[in-house]
Amino acid sequence: MATISLRNIRKEYGSNVAIENMDLDIRDGEFVTLVGPSGCGKSTTIEMIAGLTKPTSGTVEIGDRDVTNLPPKDRGIAMVFQNIALFPHKDVYDNISFGLQLRNFEKEEMDRRVEEAADTVQLTGMLDRMPTEMSGGQRQRVAIARAIVREPDVFLMDEPLANLDAELRVHMRTQLQRLHNKLDTTIVYVTHDQAQAMTMSDRVAVLDGGKLKQIDPPLECYHEPANRFVAGFIGSPAMNFMTGEITPNGFSSESGYVDVEFDPSEIGVSPGQEVTLGVRPEHVIPAENATGEVTAPVETYTDVTEPMGDEIFVYLVTSRGATVDMEDPSASGQILMSVGPETPLETDEALSVVFDKTSLHLFDNQTENALVHGLAEPSRVDAATGAQPGADAEAESDD
Amino acid sequence: MSRQQADAADTPRGPFTSWVDSAIENPKKVYRAMFFVVVIFFLFTTLFPIYWLLMIALSDSNRVSEGVGLLPVGFDPSSFVEIFQQIPLHLYLFNSFVFAALTTVFVLVVASLAGYAFGRLEFRGKRTLLLTVLIISFFPPASFFIPLFQLFSQQIAFLGLTPPELYSTPPGVVIPLSAIFMPLAIFILTTFYSQIPDGLEDAARIEGTTRLGALFRVIVPLSAPGVATAGILTFIAVYNEFFFSFLLTGTAAQDWAPIVDGIISYQSQFQVRYDLMAAASIVAVVPVAILVVVAQEKIVSGLTSGALKE
Repeated sequence: MATISLRNIRKEYGSNVAIENMDLDIRDGEFVTLVGPSGCGKSTTIEMIAGLTKPTSGTVEIGDRDVTNLPPKDRGIAMVFQNIALFPHKDVYDNISFGLQLRNFEKEEMDRRVEEAADTVQLTGMLDRMPTEMSGGQRQRVAIARAIVREPDVFLMDEPLANLDAELRVHMRTQLQRLHNKLDTTIVYVTHDQAQAMTMSDRVAVLDGGKLKQIDPPLECYHEPANRFVAGFIGSPAMNFMTGEITPNGFSSESGYVDVEFDPSEIGVSPGQEVTLGVRPEHVIPAENATGEVTAPVETYTDVTEPMGDEIFVYLVTSRGATVDMEDPSASGQILMSVGPETPLETDEALSVVFDKTSLHLFDNQTENALVHGLAEPSRVDAATGAQPGADAEAESDD
Repeated sequence: MSRQQADAADTPRGPFTSWVDSAIENPKKVYRAMFFVVVIFFLFTTLFPIYWLLMIALSDSNRVSEGVGLLPVGFDPSSFVEIFQQIPLHLYLFNSFVFAALTTVFVLVVASLAGYAFGRLEFRGKRTLLLTVLIISFFPPASFFIPLFQLFSQQIAFLGLTPPELYSTPPGVVIPLSAIFMPLAIFILTTFYSQIPDGLEDAARIEGTTRLGALFRVIVPLSAPGVATAGILTFIAVYNEFFFSFLLTGTAAQDWAPIVDGIISYQSQFQVRYDLMAAASIVAVVPVAILVVVAQEKIVSGLTSGALKE
């Protein structure tokens, strides 16, 4: 049971800055996921919390105790690693009790705790096996048992499910959540898989390029991303982006295909401001099905369809036969639409689509911060009160 | 083709010719034959001297000077008893064993620390330092013997300090030999330690060890084959070592004289007991032979447990 605070943490590797002045507060008993693309600094962050890496500057506090200069063993933490990292020369009992042995626990107490931990992860009766004799999922459970047996204040998990196959991963995801409910311990979890981040966490911390982009509950990151990066990273498939500028009547895209009407003054933007419009695939609707507040129709052609069973992903292009830039599909006019499985669709046919105005996002091109979520009522965010004070404040100062 | 077959049918064929014919059709036979030739050659060159030594040891002591062939002249196995009666051979053996054991332990501990640093840490000047270790290992040991001898027998001072008298003590032999055999051990252990996944060391440190604890509790046990190899090489090298262990000790068993001193002392002013020397040499091989057999099992078990699947 402990809070974790990173204060102005900076980490440099030679001339590379891995973490840039990060502040992060994790509450007691909270399940926080650090998520981001490769090289965003999420593993470095968790290693600094663990004490395996020392920050170049800044302080790390666990449970109001400055642990910046303490070795890992004195921090009251336990960690589960991506490569599982069981000691291959020790059997399951010795693996689980390794930390207890080092702390000179009584034999009975040790036996009791190991039994209990093994029960928790359903490994009863396997204590005398060697790690090599176990399956991937069992090994992962041993690693988790090793972590919980010491009853640490904080659990750190560095991509613990990455090496498991897809089915087992989903299963273990549920198990970990049950474990968190049962133990009620602070958990910091690192993953690049946003499905894990979304499903398991109390709050998601999105990192990019060594900077903390947003830390909020998963659905808030999804519905009200603080900036363009979070909007693009959270959600699968990713949000569509269209660059353009604010006109006196609303938004006009650079490509000229997309126009959205709204009153710029109402949402605190001024004409001429360069912005990016973001719309999630599920908020792109074929014009014939449109209800409620929607934008003017956009004429497109269907390009590729991906039936997923419960939904169909449709890749739309704004001009027939247009070449889509692989690096930045959104820029070359590709729009991804997600529709219900019964929607009758053919490839390479004209289709008029509209966007759900209540779920449009605007991002400032310079700062990349979110300007507004929802261009029509019912808005999911009240732009005036600002669920994202930081983002809004910066957006306004840009006006 | 048909003519060849006709020829083959006509000429009488010896076993060698037919073997060659079948070997041409099946070249694997030739490789196998070559393999056996090489193996037999190696076994002969390594084992024959020991065999001949045994024949000398079993010969009648009065007739050794007549020359010993493939079989002993006369038969007198009592030399294996006499070697212990004439001199305290077991003490000489013990001395050599102590040198070898102490050096091995010392080398393994220090080389483990060095191997950890070189294999697992990143620091400035790592390559330079490693190359320096390599270069030092090329240095002819004989070239620093004289000053070392003077230092150990308290004839000169080091940095204004006179060291304790190390001549004729185990440290006097163990220190220079450790220095000489250290580089090889460092190189072996560096390679092995660098292959242990970082995650295991991190896990050990999280679980409550220091870096040093992780080294000796996790990295060293997992590198058992490497540690065994380095250990055996060092042990055998020191056990067989002649130059330093002979010159830095007295000639009596109480003065920490090694086996060689013992064997030489079968040679007196009036006679040379070759049969005793041969017997003592064979006895001296036994501890190393046992060690290799035991440790080889360790090496094999270390390799087969190969639990580093991650």
